[in-house]
Amino acid sequence: MTHFQRYRFTPWLLMAPQLIIVGVFFFWPALQAVEQAFYVEDAFGLSRQFAGLANFIAVLQEPDYYQALGTTVVFSLSVALGAMAIALLLAVQADRVLKGANAYKTLLIWPYAVAPAVAGVLWLFLFDPTLGLVSAALKALGIDWNHNLDGGQALLLVILASIWKQMSYNFVFFLAGLQAIPKSLLEAAAIDGAGPWRRFWTVTFPLLSPTSFFLLVMNSVYAFFETFGTIDTVTGGGPGGATTTLVYKVYQDGFIGQDLGASAAQSVLLMILVGLLTLIQFRFVERRVQY
Amino acid sequence: MRYQRPGLDLASHLLLAVGCGLFFLPVWLAFTASTHSMSDLYANVAPLWVGDAGLSNYARLIHDPVGGLGTDVLRLLANSMVMALGIAVGKIAISLLAAYAIVFFRFPLRRLCFWLIFITLMLPVEVRILPTYEVVADLHLLDSYPGLILPLIASATATFLLRQFYLTIPPELVEAARIDGAGPWRFLRDILLPLSKTNIAALFVIMFIYGWNQYLWPLLITTNADYLTVVVSLKRLLTTGDALVPWQDVTATAMLAMGPPVLVILLMQRYFVKGLVETEK
Amino acid sequence: MATLQLSALQKRYANGFVALHGVDLAVEDGELIVIVGPSGCGKSTLLRTLAGLESITSGELTINERRVNELEPAERDIAMVFQNYALYPHMSVFDNMAYGLKNRGVPKDDIRRRVNATAELLDLGALLDRRPRQLSGGQRQRVAMGRAIVREPQVFLFDEPLSNLDAKLRVQMRLEIRRLQKRLKVTSVYVTHDQTEAMTLADRLVVMNAGRVEQCGTPMALYERPATRFVAGFIGSPAMNFLPVTVHGERLRLPDGGELALATGLESGSELTLGVRPEHLVALDEGDATTDAGAVIRATVEMIEPLGADTLAYARMEGLDELLVVRLHGEHAAGEGSVLRLWLSPERCHLFGDDDRRIEAHHATPVTGARG
Repeated sequence: MTHFQRYRFTPWLLMAPQLIIVGVFFFWPALQAVEQAFYVEDAFGLSRQFAGLANFIAVLQEPDYYQALGTTVVFSLSVALGAMAIALLLAVQADRVLKGANAYKTLLIWPYAVAPAVAGVLWLFLFDPTLGLVSAALKALGIDWNHNLDGGQALLLVILASIWKQMSYNFVFFLAGLQAIPKSLLEAAAIDGAGPWRRFWTVTFPLLSPTSFFLLVMNSVYAFFETFGTIDTVTGGGPGGATTTLVYKVYQDGFIGQDLGASAAQSVLLMILVGLLTLIQFRFVERRVQY
Repeated sequence: MRYQRPGLDLASHLLLAVGCGLFFLPVWLAFTASTHSMSDLYANVAPLWVGDAGLSNYARLIHDPVGGLGTDVLRLLANSMVMALGIAVGKIAISLLAAYAIVFFRFPLRRLCFWLIFITLMLPVEVRILPTYEVVADLHLLDSYPGLILPLIASATATFLLRQFYLTIPPELVEAARIDGAGPWRFLRDILLPLSKTNIAALFVIMFIYGWNQYLWPLLITTNADYLTVVVSLKRLLTTGDALVPWQDVTATAMLAMGPPVLVILLMQRYFVKGLVETEK
Repeated sequence: MATLQLSALQKRYANGFVALHGVDLAVEDGELIVIVGPSGCGKSTLLRTLAGLESITSGELTINERRVNELEPAERDIAMVFQNYALYPHMSVFDNMAYGLKNRGVPKDDIRRRVNATAELLDLGALLDRRPRQLSGGQRQRVAMGRAIVREPQVFLFDEPLSNLDAKLRVQMRLEIRRLQKRLKVTSVYVTHDQTEAMTLADRLVVMNAGRVEQCGTPMALYERPATRFVAGFIGSPAMNFLPVTVHGERLRLPDGGELALATGLESGSELTLGVRPEHLVALDEGDATTDAGAVIRATVEMIEPLGADTLAYARMEGLDELLVVRLHGEHAAGEGSVLRLWLSPERCHLFGDDDRRIEAHHATPVTGARG
């Protein structure tokens, strides 16, 4: 027993601030979301009625919901894989050069600190149809860029902005993961006659898999939630819902459309989805601890 | 291991340089745009080099109420600073205490408390915005600093990271302190806090950036320009209806919005990397 | 000036595991008691209940005849030296030593004076401004000692303080602890699993096994008259040889069929264990006659371990599963495969019953017909 015994009151005093804040601002709203999901409210919010699963059924029968789901999947996968691939490519180079790895880290780390909404603004400016530099270059190549009209281009733009912001996070982890790989392993592989390319795919990459998996989860969570600011500044979910993700739809239906039941039902569905993601991560982390 | 050929090294440097350049490009172009007048900007495509309207642009934004916002950018920055500091300091403070109780005390319902706090890791504020909004409205906290800060403190990331660190502290250290006559509060002040300095610094960087960059929550609960944050203001600057977007203002505000968190991460990079990599993994 | 009294001290953990089954022990003023036993025997738990780091389930613990069961560690006026030293990593050596005094509200000048005096005593004067991580293992050990000494407590508690040091430093620090303890005359309880350390340091030795005290006494008393088979096997290195024997009247039948005259008063056919230390098996040279009571055992050498001053021979005796360990003086000529004639003197034999307790035997009966 290395703990402070005989203090009955102190631990509660220590826990109290966090418990109160979590209780009021997390559990109370979360439970309300669950409750709300089972009720329908009239347009003025004056009366409400138990509706069972009606809200869920309505949400799940709505074509828009599936469009948002599809957008979310495409968006999240593109962001996660794109940000990880670029980060890995650069991290491998930085790990290889030895000299200057830390300087490169400094030069690449700062986008992490840029707000998603600001990242959105920066990329919006690059692709602005009238004065954006990239859109002008594209026009010269014969590509007509206007993300305000073209849903595919809009999605691509938010993906690019989101990748740009998330890359540095992945870079830090990949570089740390690479630097933690014992050099003797790579030397052994070199002695066994494996070239640099082969060494990477047969030794480095498998050893990085825990980091990669962790990052996949973190990037998915990022793409789900934190990119809200990017989407809202760049496209506002449009055009025609082409960039409306599940989280954006919760906001749209709840705050713009004032459909509380539908929004709450979507919240609950999201909670379940995220809960599953987290569970996978926890199970994975647990397994890794035993290595 | 020096097994590579020098040519490969050069290629790596080249690739990294191009990467750094590409990542810097959007910021550079936004910066140059922020130093031009609106008429300059719309005369051509975005300029690659700095213009001569930089000082006047920034001075105007800082001193005068910005069109459509009803307040100046200095006020927005101040609001963002209050929110970011409030979230960082508040979260670290309550997490320090809660993690301390969980690791160093044994009390009934300890496991339940642990799970109650850690379940919050699973659901970010974005998932429960509507009901949270209602709770905050019921508490009359809309358009207020506590309303901006408190709901974003209600998560366990910092508690989790501090707990992980506390668990690495050798139990004998607690025992030695007890024999030396230190009770729980003395142990916290004399031993635990000094030992956690690096971790607290790392958490501060992460939480400050997290707080500064919040978007959805401040967007929802601030209707009064006095509590608007700089990150949220960008969308309003962009929403001009049929008029031309005042890009020189938008980019200048974006520059100012990036400044503090980027400065924090560059100055405290060592702690940030340590905190991020060592605790999250 | 302190005495320590443990009466029927019991420790039961929440999960039902009983770590201490009623320990009785009286420690006299200024005495250095060493508690020794294999890992898991409860010796560390015992020390931690003395310190107040573990609660006591039942029984009583008194320091200077004052019951301290319910007191916090800091209120018991004890000091403890930990196995990993547990120095505060962010404090200088000076602050590490001063922390306990500060918490007790000792005036600043007194703290300075006492820390400096203790540092002098331990040769730490030049290191007072260093942080623990800038010190070597031996220096850290000294600081941990200093932190205990500076408090001038009633009782020192040592929890395997030397086990993180290399062998040479361990011997050196062992001598130093002994010297300091004799000089300061502070009642001390010292826990170790190393029986050499235990033998050399102890005024009295407590051997523990499975949560019980097996025997308590001076090191030599335990060596010469171990009360149980466990103590016999634990004290002494290499460990005592054990032979299964059967009582035949006033004699014992050895595994190889030989006999040894030893009267036990037990009825014939009783099965006992005979213990004899490696250093008490005397190798007879060719032609040596057995001059006294005793038996001669033949054993074939299977392995030799020369230690310099002595040589250990591992030899196969007929009827015995384990190899006999024999300590031969100097560089013995016996090669592997050679046959040793070992003289077993009844005075050097220890007998244990089937409850593993010591049985006193009488070897006054003259010997007849010993093999030779």
